[in-house]
Amino acid sequence: MDIKITKEDNKTFVAIDGRIDTTTVNQFQEAANELMGDEHPDIDIDCTALSYTSSQGLRTFLMLQKSVMKHGGKLVLRNMNPQVKEVFDITGFSNIITII
Amino acid sequence: MKKRFNPIKDKSSEIIEYLMSSPDIPDDDELQFKLRLSIEEAVENVVSYAYDGGIGWLEADIHFDEDALLLSIELRDAGMPFNPLEKEDPDVNQSAEEREVGGLGIFLCKKMMDSIKYRYEDGNNVLTMTKKVNS
Repeated sequence: MDIKITKEDNKTFVAIDGRIDTTTVNQFQEAANELMGDEHPDIDIDCTALSYTSSQGLRTFLMLQKSVMKHGGKLVLRNMNPQVKEVFDITGFSNIITII
Repeated sequence: MKKRFNPIKDKSSEIIEYLMSSPDIPDDDELQFKLRLSIEEAVENVVSYAYDGGIGWLEADIHFDEDALLLSIELRDAGMPFNPLEKEDPDVNQSAEEREVGGLGIFLCKKMMDSIKYRYEDGNNVLTMTKKVNS
């Protein structure tokens, strides 16, 4: 898995390429930790190349969402493939995280 | 095919790949996604919680019933007796503030597979998951 983080003005763009699973979740958690300190974060995650996430990945997405709300920011996940989207739908995560 | 992994500490990935390498799994992305997710959640559950410190074994078995077109995955361990199906499903209508981090693994297995059963047999936890395969 590959995670690219780019900051432009006050916006943070993240692109995830690969699978978030038992072997890569720590790497994803570390990347998320980097994003959790900011005040009023504006985070845009491109999920085009995110091919899979397990519940461990969901856990990190939820922690990130909670942190963003606490810091008065915004989080958007975009271009999720249908199967990953289904995991977010089944678990109700589509209702608590903005997916476009 | 069946294999016993011992010890299982840090072996989640190896166990998952072993089961996913079964020639009985059809070349179907959607099905493979669901199987991989269910296998990962179930294996991770045993590796993380069955034994204190992950020192113990797990037997992974994948079997295809050609008449019923049914793929069965069985995980067996000798860890603490634990029925993961007794855990209450998460409330998927809660807000982000209310949602607790975690507790989604077995819930996802239930949703992705056709059936999931637990039994305690000869001192072992046995979890069996099945999925109908259209071929």
